[in-house]
Amino acid sequence: MKFFNTILVMMLTFGIFAADNVPLQPVADPQPVLQDLQRKMSSLGSVYFELTQERHLKLFTEPLTSKGFMLIERPDQIRWETTAPYQSILLGDKKSVAQFEFNDGKWEKLKLGFPQMLQRVMDQMSLMNQGKLDALTSDYTISVSTNVETILTLVPKDENARSVLASIEVKMAPDFSATREVVMNEPNGDFTRIIFNREKRDVKFPAGTFDQTKPLEIAAVKAAVGDAP
Amino acid sequence: MRRNLFFLLLLLAAGCATAPPPENFSRGENLFPPDALMIQRAVLTVHGRQFTLNGYLASSKSGGQRLIVTENFGAVLADVLVKPGGKIFVMRSSRLFRPEWIGRFVVADLECVFGDATPKNCPGKMLSPAHFILEHRGYTLDLQIVETKPGPQPPELFDETKRGSP
Repeated sequence: MKFFNTILVMMLTFGIFAADNVPLQPVADPQPVLQDLQRKMSSLGSVYFELTQERHLKLFTEPLTSKGFMLIERPDQIRWETTAPYQSILLGDKKSVAQFEFNDGKWEKLKLGFPQMLQRVMDQMSLMNQGKLDALTSDYTISVSTNVETILTLVPKDENARSVLASIEVKMAPDFSATREVVMNEPNGDFTRIIFNREKRDVKFPAGTFDQTKPLEIAAVKAAVGDAP
Repeated sequence: MRRNLFFLLLLLAAGCATAPPPENFSRGENLFPPDALMIQRAVLTVHGRQFTLNGYLASSKSGGQRLIVTENFGAVLADVLVKPGGKIFVMRSSRLFRPEWIGRFVVADLECVFGDATPKNCPGKMLSPAHFILEHRGYTLDLQIVETKPGPQPPELFDETKRGSP
């Protein structure tokens, strides 16, 4: 019996190592995978993420870490909130963006300098998370690799864009049931990793979650979606 | 009497129209550890428009100060090294922060909050040991220190020959 247990442990161990060591397989024709992703994501009404953002600069020994949330609701609402080490809320939809900073105990709405640029970033984040990758193909060359996870790699087509952003990698469960990480690689080797610690799909966000005048506190949003499956 | 009232009104109007001279601040000695990584969040206001910035300042008693400024999603806007003798090396710049602006304005504000600048060069207020407002003619910087990690920083950060970009 002990012998079989040992064999089982060894098999499991090697199985895990083997899975980890299987190299990613590039998909020759990514279109079917992208269509499958878009089909599965298009049925989603909303998604709630708790996330950790790590900024990896080669010069620093440790990543610079922040924590926060990303909330997306169809057709075009997005909220990106940083909760530590500072508090900031970015809100966007097709028409406008708004930013709030927590200063001296209260939220202050900013008069944004480059709203169009911020809106474009928010739009792209929203499109990516809704699986609408077709809409991004004018700006990015998209390739797909699979193994124990599926990785979509987006490379900017524009040379100027590539000088600041070499690629974006979106790491998902093989069946697209969860987004695990997004990595933004820079040409010099620095990168930003967004790790999605908790994901809830098709949640009902309370009123005010995406309000660009007085957004609902994130604690209230979290409480409202907390019991959702 | 009528003439006096007119004069008083004129004085009041002049008082309303003229902005008070900016305050200057002195942050005092030993406010920050000599060797540390200090993370800042700032709101830069230029002509009424606001931009949020993140600042990462590595400080070393022997090596100097290295400040990296990024935008919301992490792209580096400015990267500057100030050696203990005051020599400035702009390691990285961007369209928003040109090298001459980094050398002139970013370093001046850095020296006001974290360095040895004299109060007359530091218009603004120190609201708390972690919250500063720098008020210049062309811009205002509302800066908060949100995290301090004391301890020695990697020596490469203070080597002007090792740039963080290709």
